[in-house]
Amino acid sequence: IRLPVFSSAHAHFICKMAAVQGGLVDAVEEKTIKSEPVADATANNSANDARAPSSSPGSGVSPGVNKPAAGAAEDQQTLLAVLQFLRKNNLSESVEILRREAGLPEDSLDQKGGDSTGTGLGGPEADGRTDAGSLLSRVTVSSSAPSKAVAEDQPDVNVVLSAYSQQGDPALYEVYYSGLKKFIETVLDCHRAELSQVFYPLFVHMYLELVYNNHENKAKAFFEKFSGDQECYYQDDLRVLCSLTKKEHMRGNETLLDFRTSKFVLRISRDSYQLLKRHLQERQNNQIWNIIQEHLYIDIFDGMPRSKGQIDAMSGSLAGEAKREANKAKVYYGLLKEPEIELPLDDEDEEAENEEGKPKKKKPKKDNMGSKSKKQDPNAPSQTRIPLPELKDSDKLDKIMNMKEATKRIRLGPDNLPSICFYSFLNAYQGLTAVDLTDDSSLIAGGFADSTVRVWSVTPKKLRKVKSAADLNMIDKESDDVLERIMDEKTASESKILYGHSGPVYGISFSPDRNYLLSSSEDGTIRLWSLQTFTCLVGYKGHNYPVWDTQFSPHGYYFVSGGHDRVARLWATDHYQPLRMFSGHLADITCTRFHPNSNYVVTGSSDRTIRLWDVLNGNCVRIFTGHKGPIHALAFSPNGKFLASGATDGRVLLWDIGHGLMVGELKGHTDTIYSLRFSRDSEILASGSMDNTVRLWDATKAFDLETDDFTAATGHIHLQDNSQELLLGSYMTKSTPVIHLHFTRRNLLLAAGGYNP
Amino acid sequence: KRRKVKFPKDHEVMIQILKDMGITEYEPRVVNQMLEFTYRYVTTIIEDAKIYASHAKKSNVDADDVKLAIQCRMDQSFTSPPPRDFLLDVARQKNQMPLPLIKPYSGPRLPPDRYCLTAPNYRLKSVQKKVTPSTNRISVPRLSVGGVSSRPATPTLGAPSVQTVTKVTAPVSLTNQRFTVQIPPASQTSTTKPTTASTPAVSNVLINPSLIGSKNILITTSMVSQGDSLKRKHEDDDDYDNL
Repeated sequence: IRLPVFSSAHAHFICKMAAVQGGLVDAVEEKTIKSEPVADATANNSANDARAPSSSPGSGVSPGVNKPAAGAAEDQQTLLAVLQFLRKNNLSESVEILRREAGLPEDSLDQKGGDSTGTGLGGPEADGRTDAGSLLSRVTVSSSAPSKAVAEDQPDVNVVLSAYSQQGDPALYEVYYSGLKKFIETVLDCHRAELSQVFYPLFVHMYLELVYNNHENKAKAFFEKFSGDQECYYQDDLRVLCSLTKKEHMRGNETLLDFRTSKFVLRISRDSYQLLKRHLQERQNNQIWNIIQEHLYIDIFDGMPRSKGQIDAMSGSLAGEAKREANKAKVYYGLLKEPEIELPLDDEDEEAENEEGKPKKKKPKKDNMGSKSKKQDPNAPSQTRIPLPELKDSDKLDKIMNMKEATKRIRLGPDNLPSICFYSFLNAYQGLTAVDLTDDSSLIAGGFADSTVRVWSVTPKKLRKVKSAADLNMIDKESDDVLERIMDEKTASESKILYGHSGPVYGISFSPDRNYLLSSSEDGTIRLWSLQTFTCLVGYKGHNYPVWDTQFSPHGYYFVSGGHDRVARLWATDHYQPLRMFSGHLADITCTRFHPNSNYVVTGSSDRTIRLWDVLNGNCVRIFTGHKGPIHALAFSPNGKFLASGATDGRVLLWDIGHGLMVGELKGHTDTIYSLRFSRDSEILASGSMDNTVRLWDATKAFDLETDDFTAATGHIHLQDNSQELLLGSYMTKSTPVIHLHFTRRNLLLAAGGYNP
Repeated sequence: KRRKVKFPKDHEVMIQILKDMGITEYEPRVVNQMLEFTYRYVTTIIEDAKIYASHAKKSNVDADDVKLAIQCRMDQSFTSPPPRDFLLDVARQKNQMPLPLIKPYSGPRLPPDRYCLTAPNYRLKSVQKKVTPSTNRISVPRLSVGGVSSRPATPTLGAPSVQTVTKVTAPVSLTNQRFTVQIPPASQTSTTKPTTASTPAVSNVLINPSLIGSKNILITTSMVSQGDSLKRKHEDDDDYDNL
């Protein structure tokens, strides 16, 4: 073992600390504190054991040196450990000084510190971050200073690992856990379900502690004994844990490291909590109480304990449930006011609602999509909350077309289901990884595992690109049809292939004005392609890891991307760096979507949570838990109030954004859901899945509910088991997983997938 | 289903590993890919460990060497994303800045040209045969394709935007011509380095690739701003008289 040689200044410092420590010991009544868990010597051990050369044993030593309260025997061992350390470093003078001052006999040098006193409880709820950059500092505030001095130059993961202190004797973990299990089994039925929530996080944290402190065999035994008791929806996590038996295995796994440092949130009613607390504060159960205080955040509410079904509906994520305060911020989920556009007179008049701000009714039809009354919708953000690009003439023409199409839209309902047109990508050999359609359904683009992006024209109109500069010079610029003349007829084709990425393309998005196409890939870049020239314009580099999804904002100009680095970024097409970074997820972000008013971004992640972020300031305003697998599909309802999400567990969950609650669950799919889409007027929700089916659900009925105050206050939900009634139809494809759904402006459903025989 | 074929032991071990990790459906080639990766990874680690052991003057490779080798490799090839506190910090800083206002009527909203991929990624070289002494004119006697040299070619046209094609010459038929296309080092700027003092005008010359085959080359130029803006007329006609 190579130990860095410390300067004598360090050594003297350590000795002084040890001397101070010695003084403290006498003053403190040790009996009551004997049960305090011990820390540093094990850290010492771990420091002295096979450690990477870059680790700093000093940081392991110093916490042990500066403990506030200790039993005499344990403290003695700490001193011995320090002595031994100094001896190893040939700091003989310091050794002498320490031995003299601490009054240690000569022959005790050979003993290594066993279970020395621990710290760890200074601030059980406190955030474990120190200035030195070490993520996990379980040491008290007073001892963080020396550890900082020593570890200053090593703000890496090893400091995190080495500064960790252990709660309780590792050999007794099984005993603690079994004791808790027995207690919870004897508790009243109504409390049992709630208290059983504690099992999983406790199990994982205790197991990880054993692994961190190199008690590999004990960890394995612990795992074997208790892993079978956990809920079935945690099986995937447990499998990952099973393969993690050494501390080195944890190093590269950011998700697990984040899990360690974040507190698992549990919602327990006050009565159940009192029960638990009373039991655990008894003398012999103190260890578990400390562990619980350290790793769990218990959100107490007043009221009836929740039933197992209710708990199961909300749990499943890697960080527990969401704290109630996390979902209390105001969210402006309304739609932006549509700008007024003068329309030519039209005979087919639906009820024309007036634009806000225009007192007199004009004959031309106004936009009747989205904008409600003359007054400002209190739930809608103001037009200037975030800067949005102004409407160009072409955009206005688009809107007019949109309105015209809207008049011809079919009203869907349970007795009027949409026709479904399925686009199968043949010969893709399972390489089709992303699909998108333009809003007017004229273009379809596919991203492939061979790193190409292909664009097809859905209509008979071929794809044309702009002529070369040479040809452009020759055309008559003053002619009326100059916009057609600049297009090159000679190279018109049904499809165009875009080359540029160096990895599979996982996300595709058309811009609303059909000028640009975005693609995000495993190579960590997002590329902006021009659909006029079919060339690549910009490569946005920021994620250095695969980018799993990207989407343009409904108003254009902004786009959001999310990837393996657990961060979602908001970009604008004219900035080469992101404008906002949405950080908070524990695992990869697999799906990113804009809200229809472009003020919010929702991200679904592999940590089984969905977060809603505010574009204006980057804050996370909602956390939705309940899925039992990574989320792959998200869809906002066109009115902006509701969110639907689909994951690998085959369930579609429905959320009320305003209240931050789950309002429905649609069971039926048997495999991962990859696509979700609401029809244009929110009547039908279509879901497409890996089980080769498209299912249609009755959205009006699913969201037709009143949220009462109690539910809003406590977050208790009562889900009805009405998936069967809400299912309007289920359509099988011929061995083609459905990865994209799109409702045309007239409410025809288009679906796409790669044929996979 | 029972497998009739007996696989080599390593193969069986890999199948068992996949099963333990919960992967039940996979193509048969996956096992081979995993085995290849494992073999490569293990040999790299052991070779590194041997180097460390010999550096420490040990005769045998022991566990510490292997541990060190693994660690160094981890930092090199298997990097993991940044830790959460760092990300939160960066995010906080970034999110404090207000969203920039959007300039109206600004055409395609793209980042500055340096960050775009819209510049041409090649340059044409001219093989100078004769130089017209006339004022403000640089002639291009011949353009040869195939070699890479350092002499850039034709004069440019003054125009504000760098990356877009600005002016197009009349189509010129150039038969039996060989053209040099020079590819500058990978930089997004379209400025080129002047190589000889006698060539004050430097430019990039775009060759329309679709027309090369037909030996009908259109020379289109894009402006290169180089401090002193060059406003020269494009005079190709008199250079190709002899064709």
